[in-house]
Amino acid sequence: MTGMTGSRIAWLRWLLPAAAVLAVTAGAAVVKGVGAAADPQLPARTAAQLLTDLQTARLEGLSGTVTQRADLGLPALPGLGGQGSSDLASLISGTHTLRVWYSGPSSARVALLGTLGESDIITNGRDVWIWSSRDNSAIHRTLPAPEAAAPPLNPSMLPTTPQEAAAAVLAAIDPSTVVTTSGSARVAGRAAYELTLAPRDRDSLISRVTVAIDAAEQVPLRVRVFATSTAEAAIEIAFTQVTFARPGAEHFRFNPPPGAKVTEQQAQPEKAKPDEAKPDQAKPDGPPPVAVVGRGWTAVLAARPGGAATSSPSSSANDPASGTGLGGLMQHLPAVQGSWGSGRLLSSRLFSVLVTDDGRILVGAVTPQRLIQAAADPAAALKPAGA
Amino acid sequence: MADLAISATLPKPRPVSGRFLASELLLIFGRRRNWAGMAVLAAMPVIVSVANKIDPPTGGGGEGPDFFSAITSNGLFVALAALSIELPLFLPLAVATIAGDSIAGEANLGTLRYLLSVPVHRTRMLVVKFTAIVIFAFAATLLVAGTGVLMGTVLFGGGDLTLLSGTQISFGEGLLRLFAVCVYLAVCLSAVGAIGLFVSTLTEQPIGATIAIMILTVGSFILDNIPQLDWLHPYLLVHNWLNFGDLLRDPVAWDGISTGLLSAGAYILVFVTAAWARFSARDVTS
Repeated sequence: MTGMTGSRIAWLRWLLPAAAVLAVTAGAAVVKGVGAAADPQLPARTAAQLLTDLQTARLEGLSGTVTQRADLGLPALPGLGGQGSSDLASLISGTHTLRVWYSGPSSARVALLGTLGESDIITNGRDVWIWSSRDNSAIHRTLPAPEAAAPPLNPSMLPTTPQEAAAAVLAAIDPSTVVTTSGSARVAGRAAYELTLAPRDRDSLISRVTVAIDAAEQVPLRVRVFATSTAEAAIEIAFTQVTFARPGAEHFRFNPPPGAKVTEQQAQPEKAKPDEAKPDQAKPDGPPPVAVVGRGWTAVLAARPGGAATSSPSSSANDPASGTGLGGLMQHLPAVQGSWGSGRLLSSRLFSVLVTDDGRILVGAVTPQRLIQAAADPAAALKPAGA
Repeated sequence: MADLAISATLPKPRPVSGRFLASELLLIFGRRRNWAGMAVLAAMPVIVSVANKIDPPTGGGGEGPDFFSAITSNGLFVALAALSIELPLFLPLAVATIAGDSIAGEANLGTLRYLLSVPVHRTRMLVVKFTAIVIFAFAATLLVAGTGVLMGTVLFGGGDLTLLSGTQISFGEGLLRLFAVCVYLAVCLSAVGAIGLFVSTLTEQPIGATIAIMILTVGSFILDNIPQLDWLHPYLLVHNWLNFGDLLRDPVAWDGISTGLLSAGAYILVFVTAAWARFSARDVTS
């Protein structure tokens, strides 16, 4: 009506929003593609050379953003926040973003960014703080003074040159592991070499572990753990953005805000422990009810938490609460049996757990069949000490 | 930012006339039903602060919605708590009402053809309509935050503000951060407004347009909470809204903020141009 032009013109007008859609998708593709650009061309390096690089790296400091993704094939547990949670325990499932500042072993900070929440672990000298915004609480630990007062990287303490050490490491893991370099990768926009470690044992649920090492700074930028059952990584921890500049000291300063609940914790390696009044409780006379069956990638850890109840009162205090929660979960797990008895099996992409009816727990990054075999192993029988 | 997107993409014969915009704003802020809507928006921080004053949380922390346990420690948290409570429904609903009304409302009342009979280019009219929606989005967010700050400082006092990272900043810097949160959320809500403007050009029923926008907004909140659809999440309208928390870290995590602004800008660009394509070619009979 009001200066209406023909329907052909009207149709042409839709070219503008169409172009907008194209521009937006192209823009998004460019932003996403920065990380996935073609693999960089790097001079070839052997696995031994890469391990040498890792040891000779002199890291001044770094700061950056890390994305951590775990897809273990576990059922989503409502209690564990998963995606968007700032709870440190939620890291076992979902995708999480962390910010990292590092300026030497005594100045480090890791912040787990949740939706409207944050958890921080801050190391500043001998002080270690764990802050949780959701609980408005802080845990403070004081690390023991460095005993030998020697820097951790004292050259005289290294028995060999880094090259020899790398060769020694490779020789040591060779019986169980195939170490290869799988070329190059681009992580956080930086060129990196990729080192691949694959178990020789076919019963392992882990098909390979890859470590991307920055070509210039020799710092691991990405670690991926692949399960045999899926093509995508079951665990991936990677920098999405990184700067190799020493972060300022203000990042490592932490004073608990007023009103926050502060818990003081003693560091584990206590020197005052030997003159403790109840040595029999702290350390039971018999061997602890824990055994390892097999070795290397397919090692299976067997434990008898019920046996530990007499020796450690703190764990028995925790057991009833977790036991009732687990009890409900156990009902849904498939039952298995063998010469060793019967139990319930939890299998995920990367590990299997067997809880036997006689109170043992077996855990390993192995197939359920291997775990059941291990349960029959006399070493894993774990006869309760003194009982 | 929203205005920039338009002026860069749309042919504009003359700069937006101040008089036209002023009359449009008068229409939005003068209507009694919009007054009622804004009163509802402002009521939430009042309820939150008074309820916390009468029955303060017993400590322990971690209880109630986000920022609730911190309200009694600093009045600024009333504003943040109110914003995060109203973000899923009230704020988008307010913007959706205004945006859904923008074109469809005039068509429904029969005033659109009169409006178009005056010598105003349709493009210019659309620019004015969208500018008014953006101004409303800012006003609505600042209204919630402002009422929150007022109620909070009166009932709980000001003082240093504890950030999510556990560090403290002064009250003044806290106000600045809160203002940045408001700007970020207003840009996000302007994306709702852009979708609303487009939907509003499709229909003559303003209530239908508003409902359609709300279905889209609430629908994307639901989709955003389905973990199996995580490949879809980055593209959802509301996915980055809660990133406003990144402004409350030390140092500010700009990654999340810029992602959110880019996403909102993309929605605005696409839907404002779509509204233009639809509206400038539409037969107006009512």
